[in-house]
Amino acid sequence: MTTSRLLTLACCLLVAVMSRGAAGATYFVTVAGLGGEPDYEQRFTAAAKDLDKAFRASGASAHVTTLMGKDATRARLTEVLGTVAREAKGDDDFVLVLIGHGTFSGGSGGGEDSGDGYKFNLVGPDVTAAELAGMCDKITSRRQLVVDTTSASGGAVMALRRAGRAVVAATKSGTEKNATVFARYWVEAMQDPAADVDKSDSISAMEAFQYADKKTAAFYESQKRLATEHAVFEDTGRGEPVRTASGNEGNLLSSFTVLRIGASQKATNDPARQQLLLKKEELEQKVDVLKYGKAAMDPDEYKKQLRETLVQLAEVQGELDK
Amino acid sequence: MALALVCGLSGTRGWGATPENCSELRRHGKRVEAQACYEGLVRSTSAAVRAEGYWGIGQFDDANEQFRVALTAPDAGAAVRVRWGMLLHERFNDGDAMGLFKEALERDPKNAQAYLGMARVSAEGFDGKATANALKALSLDPKLYEAHELLAGLALENNDTEYAISETEGALLIAPDAMDAIAVRGAVDLLADRTAEADAWFAKMRAVNAGYGGGYVLVARQLERHYRYEDAMGYYRKAVEAEPKLWAAHSALGIDLMRTGQEEEPRRELELSYTNGYRDAATVNSLRLLDSYKNFVTFKDATTILRMRKEEADLLRPYFDAELHRAIATYQQKYKMTLPVPVQLEVYPDHEDFAVRTMGMPGLGALGVTFGEVVAMDSPSGRKPGEFNWGATLWHEMSHVYILTMTKHRVPRWFTEGLAVHEESVATGRPEWANRLTPDVLAAIRDKKLLPIEKLDKGFVVPEYPAQVIVSYYQAGSICDFIGSKYGEDKLLAMAKAYAEVKTTPEVLQSVLGLSAANFDTAYMDWLGKGAGKTAANFDAWRGRLKGLVEIAKSKDYDAVLKEGEAVRALYPEYVGEANPYEFMAEAWLAKGDKKAAVEALTSYERAGGESPATLKKLAALEEELGNGKAAAATLERILYIYPLRDEELHRRLGALWLAQGNFAGAIRENTAVVAMKPLDKAGAEFSLAQAYYAAGDKAKAEEQVLLALEAAPGFRPAQKLLLQLEKPDKPDAAKSLETKEKR
Repeated sequence: MTTSRLLTLACCLLVAVMSRGAAGATYFVTVAGLGGEPDYEQRFTAAAKDLDKAFRASGASAHVTTLMGKDATRARLTEVLGTVAREAKGDDDFVLVLIGHGTFSGGSGGGEDSGDGYKFNLVGPDVTAAELAGMCDKITSRRQLVVDTTSASGGAVMALRRAGRAVVAATKSGTEKNATVFARYWVEAMQDPAADVDKSDSISAMEAFQYADKKTAAFYESQKRLATEHAVFEDTGRGEPVRTASGNEGNLLSSFTVLRIGASQKATNDPARQQLLLKKEELEQKVDVLKYGKAAMDPDEYKKQLRETLVQLAEVQGELDK
Repeated sequence: MALALVCGLSGTRGWGATPENCSELRRHGKRVEAQACYEGLVRSTSAAVRAEGYWGIGQFDDANEQFRVALTAPDAGAAVRVRWGMLLHERFNDGDAMGLFKEALERDPKNAQAYLGMARVSAEGFDGKATANALKALSLDPKLYEAHELLAGLALENNDTEYAISETEGALLIAPDAMDAIAVRGAVDLLADRTAEADAWFAKMRAVNAGYGGGYVLVARQLERHYRYEDAMGYYRKAVEAEPKLWAAHSALGIDLMRTGQEEEPRRELELSYTNGYRDAATVNSLRLLDSYKNFVTFKDATTILRMRKEEADLLRPYFDAELHRAIATYQQKYKMTLPVPVQLEVYPDHEDFAVRTMGMPGLGALGVTFGEVVAMDSPSGRKPGEFNWGATLWHEMSHVYILTMTKHRVPRWFTEGLAVHEESVATGRPEWANRLTPDVLAAIRDKKLLPIEKLDKGFVVPEYPAQVIVSYYQAGSICDFIGSKYGEDKLLAMAKAYAEVKTTPEVLQSVLGLSAANFDTAYMDWLGKGAGKTAANFDAWRGRLKGLVEIAKSKDYDAVLKEGEAVRALYPEYVGEANPYEFMAEAWLAKGDKKAAVEALTSYERAGGESPATLKKLAALEEELGNGKAAAATLERILYIYPLRDEELHRRLGALWLAQGNFAGAIRENTAVVAMKPLDKAGAEFSLAQAYYAAGDKAKAEEQVLLALEAAPGFRPAQKLLLQLEKPDKPDAAKSLETKEKR
């Protein structure tokens, strides 16, 4: 890796780190759509309730609305998203999670690009991907995350994608039409500390995606069934949906904190510790730069620098914990 | 004779030579003349004769097509069908071949050749019907010497040497130049280590036709059936030397070479067969298996060669490596011998890959197979959890390695299998891995289907009922249990040594135990009757009451479950399969709030050989809950031998239990397993491993692991504290890490 590339990377990382530190509100809207059968109805509602609980527990800056049962109508969804559009500010984040069944007709009048082909099943009239995109477009926010966990949700990605919005779908296309299990594991990611793989006391959208994706694959493997869903994401606003981070795809998901857990939120809000936090972020950034430059470094030198930086980081964290 | 029939039925010979003439020329080594003869047949006006001609010159597709045409003739009868069937059998299509033989018999129920064809197909498929069909063929045509030849070979496979000899004599009486009979007769002597006599027979064979490789192939197959793979290779080499275009022999040689752990020469031989059109399932699949070896990784040391699939090697290697070395150390001491070369253990996650290793072999293929010092076995990932115990399989196969080496492969099947089953519990010191008394076995004991010891090999090679192979494993194993308990383990070793002197089973029993075979059978059955025999007598009652217990369990009448569960258990304590009383009783005790009693029930299940990972995990959880971490660790340790994959929690839990009990090596092994599973929580796994190393006093490795944990998760507080403890042990924050660790 060249020096200039490293510098660029360092700058990008700095942006990412700084954005992690920002303290806007997060608007969460969760919808458990029409189950059709008691079993699905119960499953979707339970998942929505679990998410509701997890989001509410994440702190005062979380604005949580959950629609389920008879309340999960197109009219109510329009109303709720309209409220968010009125209330949310430019430094806020917005998270929309759709749980339930989706349908897709990729024929005339509704291709994956148009967004008319995908419909999220609600009580009463359904809502298309294009309509959902339109409602979300009206919301002023720093960043948006749309997590569509329904069957055929891959068919909605192209209609939903937009700069500043990360879109996650449970299926790779509109043609994966079987009921999905991805939602179960997305919810679990919000509850299981193991999802916080970088131990940052927060769950990023990428961590949640990877957790749910891996658990979904394990589910099919354990059942000795052929997997009928393959989750994807798109977060550049102009790319094709992908299964793993590559190029610019994945940057927004990685920096998008869905949920804060543990002590990190407290420290973020304490002005007395801002200096230490800045120092900590600086060291974290240094670790990131080292990691990205690892392949080009002498292994012993890399280890030495990594050890020194990590020791300093541990000491700063010790101060923060006091 | 059949060839003449074809021509006779077709009625339009058109040429002087008959297929029979051509065949006789070839049989006597007149290759050029035979070739010209067959080429002549191709110009016949009869499709059936043309088919014989094409077959003779190796144009099998054309021969097939001509038989198809021949069958459209209004007068096409049984003979054409039989000959077409024989062609299909030769060209690896036994299903259609069998269909044609059956069609032939519908038209001509007394067609001896059709029965001979069916016997040949059965002989290769080990379906137990070959002898009956061959005998039927002979009864219809007493001069069908080929049936005698086949019967001789089948008898020799079953170690029925006398019958084998009499059948070769029968064949030679009809046709003094019956080369396959001569070959089998030579094999009889070869198996008895009478090399000079064997060579004399092979000289006779060469006198008839020096270029006949088929006879050597028959000899090699007999050697394979008797585990003498190295010797078999020698005869396959003789076969290709005598008949370089005998592609079947090239393929068999390649497969045998693979069994000795080689790769280059087998590939050459198999590719030679393949490119020359010999593409039977064994050839094709063996080539595929050789191609797949690029996905395997090999670990070597002074005594072992371990080959595993790359993606599971990191996880499984520590377990297999340790168990393999443990088995070697144990058997080396027990059998008082050191293996001359390293043992090669191949572990296949894809059962189909493993199955390639056992193709064309009778009664094999369940879980593992041994070829001299090469062992191939299923990986635990190749089976559903709870379906098999890889540890027991490994010890079983390793017993074969020693016994085959000790006896120079001169051992009957029943003895090596029986001893291997016996050692699964005795050599391992794990009674829960003992010979399994399954319902199939009980039914066989009840129905008096166990075989006399002299005939026991037949139960493995040519089973007469579906469960007979399993029953024979049980019987052979329990015979060794009986000998070991009544006469002492050293007698088993003495028997192995006696077999090495090429003694027969009656001779071995007489010389080692002082018993005739008949008296041995009586003593064994008496012994069995006092144990498994009693359970067998309960079998029908048990079955009825188990059904009742299932119903009671559904009703949740827990007191009744406990009462009836105990009664059902007592009738057949070894039963640990689906709907076993142990689990019902444990469930009932839990419902009644008595965890201790539930643990007792599940411990009994475990001791009886229960191997459901889910049930054992439930037992471990209860043991831990009741404060018995040592028992919990031992229970989880047992699961490792059944299904150590796809269960991070199992390894994580066991690692923590071992760490808490000061078994640092165990904790390191288990946390290494978690890391090898590439968990989502990589940092957590690396940190736990660092803790285990730290506890074991290996600070260098602890630092290495904690840096890996923090590289993945720089803000991981417990790992930060351990790092400070390692780097700055005098700092106050570092001191806290110890407290934290102790509290975890």
